[in-house]
Amino acid sequence: MANFMVIFAVSWDMMSGYTGYVSFGHPFLIGLAGYVTAILSHQGGFQPPHIVLPLYITIPLGLAVAVGGGMLFFLPSMRVRGPYFSMVSLAFLMIINILTIAVRPDMTGGDRGLSGLPAVVTGLVPNYYFSLGLMFAIAIGLWYVGRSDMGSILKAIRMDEDVVEASGISTYKFKRFAFILSALTAGIGGVFYTHYLGSISPRGAFSTAFLWDIIISAVVGGMGTTIGPMFGGYFLTFILEYLRPYLFGAWRFFAYSAVALFLIVYRPRGFYGIAQDIVNRFQRKRIGVEVYG
Amino acid sequence: MAKLLEVQGLTKKFGGLVAVNDLSFYVEEGEVLGLMGPNGSGKTTVFNIIMGDYPADSGKVFFKGKDISNYSTNQRVRMGIARTYQVPRPFREMTIFEGIRVGSIAPSIVKCLMAGAGAHNAVVTKILESVGLKERLSMYPHELTMGDLRRAELARALTTNPKLVLLDEIFAGLTVAEIEEIDELLRQKIAEGLNFIVVSHDLKALGPLVDRVVVIHFGQCIAVGSFDQIVNDEKVKAAYFG
Repeated sequence: MANFMVIFAVSWDMMSGYTGYVSFGHPFLIGLAGYVTAILSHQGGFQPPHIVLPLYITIPLGLAVAVGGGMLFFLPSMRVRGPYFSMVSLAFLMIINILTIAVRPDMTGGDRGLSGLPAVVTGLVPNYYFSLGLMFAIAIGLWYVGRSDMGSILKAIRMDEDVVEASGISTYKFKRFAFILSALTAGIGGVFYTHYLGSISPRGAFSTAFLWDIIISAVVGGMGTTIGPMFGGYFLTFILEYLRPYLFGAWRFFAYSAVALFLIVYRPRGFYGIAQDIVNRFQRKRIGVEVYG
Repeated sequence: MAKLLEVQGLTKKFGGLVAVNDLSFYVEEGEVLGLMGPNGSGKTTVFNIIMGDYPADSGKVFFKGKDISNYSTNQRVRMGIARTYQVPRPFREMTIFEGIRVGSIAPSIVKCLMAGAGAHNAVVTKILESVGLKERLSMYPHELTMGDLRRAELARALTTNPKLVLLDEIFAGLTVAEIEEIDELLRQKIAEGLNFIVVSHDLKALGPLVDRVVVIHFGQCIAVGSFDQIVNDEKVKAAYFG
């Protein structure tokens, strides 16, 4: 579970953390990929004509729809900036939530969703290592992108998009790349998470609680760093689990929200920023010792 | 001499306000043009239109004889036009070196992903040295003086390998010593073959630098000529002193 939350957080971070285009529609991409593979591989079959496809076909199809569908519906909204983009992305999430329930419930399972989906890997331990490997592969890939010149441009877009454009760089082209990468990794997380759970429902996939979990993981960890959202994802999952014996129901969510709020207000660069400050302080001390004895 | 940049009949309205009104002028190869006018006369709007930040309501912009009116900002920059901003706009979370380096990155996704560590660092260092920021490479924008921020603006423009640079109030907020330093720097770049359009309220600094001046008032051209002709022009005096 934590590994998947990390995948979602780093994939959200690729788009929103690096470029500053805060997306509220990330579960749209995750759920889209999840629903495609779920519908096509469900025991009841794609109705009609009752086709059940193997996972090695449904999973790539799920990814293709996440990227393709995301580009078709989502990408035009990147022409608008700031809160307008966020609102448009949130609208997509709301729309797909309604559509999944209202349109063809025989196919999507309606409000109850689909369950009894085949597993990619069986057994708790193999599942853990599989999701861990998947998480590391995605995180390392995104970390590499963030460290490259691509990362520099995306971060610069977050700071001042006009100046990047005035540096001869097509910001739209680079934002589009970040979005596709974000959609692809969200889709990968989405399809495997769906088969890991063995079920999918609109209340789970398209809920705002799920959206906040992803965003809080990235923000608490440190946006635009990849490593930060990794820590954020684990922090969020573990704090919720460790608090389980001590706090019940909504109180657990209240506690982690309070921690998240504290960090956002007093340490907006998240855990990554805190760690960076400590390292910088240590380095300055060392330089001081070297210079002044 | 051939015209490097030409604007023809530019008009831009913001609601009921006519910011630029049927404005035409040109810059020749090897020329430094001054763009003067009282506050709110439309100088920065003209720069924004030339750069493609927003489209003109009517009129055209030509660069090296080509109509670039429908080009995006990044296309115009890649053709050889760059600018500095009236209020310096450095990338606030990046060091001066990192920020200036952004301008030197190839605008290709594949090249961006494949570029090794330290790619084109030497070029950026050379540009920063040429504008006198060699000692400030690892500093953040908030640690710099206004003079250094102006130099950084110029460095960022230079990383795009421009033919023409639009300088918006390059002398604003500087001490007398800093103005002299920037003036010296600009003269070096002019000698290297760079063309400038300079907007400045500091007439003392602007005068010796420019070959020709265009004066605009309420978005309209009211005078064109050498600096000496312009300062003695009755329309210009009226625009500035009422």
